Amino acid sequence: MALVFEGIQKVYPNGFRAVNHLDLEVKDGEFFTLLGPSGCGKTTTLRMIAGLETPSAGKVFIGGRDFTRTHPRDRDVAMVFQSYALYPHMTVRENLVLNLKVRKVAADEIERRLQEVSRMLGIERLLDSKPAQLSGGQRQRIALGRALIRRPNIFLMDEPLSNLDLKLRERTRTELKALHERLRVTTVYVTHDQAEALVLSDRIGIMNGGELLQVGTPQEIYDRPSSVFVAKFVGTPSINLVPVTARPAGAALALGLRGADWDLAGITLAAEDGVATRLAQLGGQAVLGVRPEAVTLSYQATAGAIPAIVELIEPMGSVNHVVLRFDGPGAVTVDDEPFVVVMRSNEPLEHGARVWATLMPDRLVLFDEQSGEALATLSPRREWCAPRSSID
Amino acid sequence: MTTVNEAKVALDDSASRPMSRPRLWLRLGHAAAAGVVLLWLFPVYWVVLTSFKPIVEINSAIPSFVFEPTLENYRDLFAKFEFAGVLLNSIIVTVATCIVVVGLGVMAAYALARMNVPGEKHLALWILSLRFLPPIAVAIPFYIQWQDLNLLDTHVGLIVVYVAFNLPFAIWLLRGFLADVPIELEEAALLDGLSRLQILWRVVVPVILPGLASTSIFIFVFTWNEYLMALMLTSMNAVTVPVTISKFVMPYTILWGDLSAAVVIQLVPMLAVVFLLQRHIVRGMTLGAVK
Repeated sequence: MALVFEGIQKVYPNGFRAVNHLDLEVKDGEFFTLLGPSGCGKTTTLRMIAGLETPSAGKVFIGGRDFTRTHPRDRDVAMVFQSYALYPHMTVRENLVLNLKVRKVAADEIERRLQEVSRMLGIERLLDSKPAQLSGGQRQRIALGRALIRRPNIFLMDEPLSNLDLKLRERTRTELKALHERLRVTTVYVTHDQAEALVLSDRIGIMNGGELLQVGTPQEIYDRPSSVFVAKFVGTPSINLVPVTARPAGAALALGLRGADWDLAGITLAAEDGVATRLAQLGGQAVLGVRPEAVTLSYQATAGAIPAIVELIEPMGSVNHVVLRFDGPGAVTVDDEPFVVVMRSNEPLEHGARVWATLMPDRLVLFDEQSGEALATLSPRREWCAPRSSID
Repeated sequence: MTTVNEAKVALDDSASRPMSRPRLWLRLGHAAAAGVVLLWLFPVYWVVLTSFKPIVEINSAIPSFVFEPTLENYRDLFAKFEFAGVLLNSIIVTVATCIVVVGLGVMAAYALARMNVPGEKHLALWILSLRFLPPIAVAIPFYIQWQDLNLLDTHVGLIVVYVAFNLPFAIWLLRGFLADVPIELEEAALLDGLSRLQILWRVVVPVILPGLASTSIFIFVFTWNEYLMALMLTSMNAVTVPVTISKFVMPYTILWGDLSAAVVIQLVPMLAVVFLLQRHIVRGMTLGAVK
């Protein structure tokens, strides 16, 4: 069922504003992820869908009906908790069917659903165990099963994978996605793990400080972040931020590395009318966001390329993370963070080598230096591409 | 590895080498603890011994440890003093008090711990402060009121007083156990469609069972041993074991044999309850609920 938030606010009695004026629509059957750092309001939002918190203002609609003040019991939403919250004194079977029993579902129907869910999750042999006897991964499955067996209108998941080790987390992630593909039940998923959000979601909503910053498909969020915060939060290694000057050149913008004479020749960003005015206000100063895989390295100097020294190579298996230090006067990154490039690991590259870095013009984002808002982007809708940096 | 080796060496050399300092202290500590335990247990031992002694041995000026045991004192107790009825009184009053106190206590404590009762902290302290009252201060008012209400020398009269005295303590104890129950557990139950009362009985109570067990032990011991109120408020029909025991101390003589037998009988249910419930006082019931 579709889920709509209308001007939702949550202010706690102590004055803490957890969620600030949230407008959001989650479509029927969609896998929607709320992504953000801890304390950003994503869990509070989820709890307002469940009815465990009441909004201070605004309305929650589920399937077109106003559910803002409905008791959790009457909402038909199921939730998977981060801690799983299995009933420790009940067997797995009792944990799974408690809800159906309370709702007075017929015994043979309960049995049928129990069989179905335990087969789906591969937990048939665990039904008579108590939660304390199970491993973390098994408990996670039971928690999922307890939600599945209800066939609810909406699934809510609060960081359900965060207590699993990396390997199991990745496997469960895949299973979760397959499960959603099959059942297509509207799901709202909360996480602070951007990789999880990118893999699982149909759409992602990025939150920070109680505000919803951007909503979009994983690709949109990655390619066209609306602000520096979103750009930095999504993607590993993190996006590189470089201070630049942007000058209007006809209808477009010409970029240069600030403090250095390096003109990023060949890179011009198409910008809307307002942007030139805003840039004029800022004295042409802006921040350029460069994804780590949107850089090519070359041993030869080329026009528009930035000279740099290879400072560190971090092998990651199929790719290497290459840390560069710009080799020009004053040419630095924002906050002196390392400039990282992702390269295929079969490319020969020496520690300490002098290289020229060319930025791929189609994958850059220009940010307002003061507000952090995106000013212009050159990345049009394009295919997802593996790291394709190469060295010639 | 080194620790294992060192332990081995220590084991081999323990005969030839002088004991290491920490070990010596440990042994001394054990000895001291054993001494204290013996000191505490001796009266119990002596009372058990006395209860099986013939009158002659009991009154002998030289304490005797070897004698021919007899059940005479016990026979006497039940035959002459109608001890069976007294014992039944004690059992009725204590068991009823335990059930009522734990039942009411768990609900009150749950409300305090979870339901945003206004002024909850003050209320909790105020409830506990009822316990600060010396019982003797209210003994006479209770007597007068119970007289008006025809509750003197009845089981109900005694149970009501005991509930009033023990409830604050139980609420306070249970509140601590309830605070340890992960809130997600209750939220999961809420989403599963359980009502507040169902959550309390089907989810919360089974999880804090160890807490209920230890609370019950405390209430049982307090009530089973209570003397002052029982003495004031009962005379014939509802007399409890402690009051009866005191009656063996007479103006000109002390019936040591009957007294000892009664004390032993009073000890048995208490030990039984503690051993029975001890099994449940194992923390870790909540293990597996979270994480």
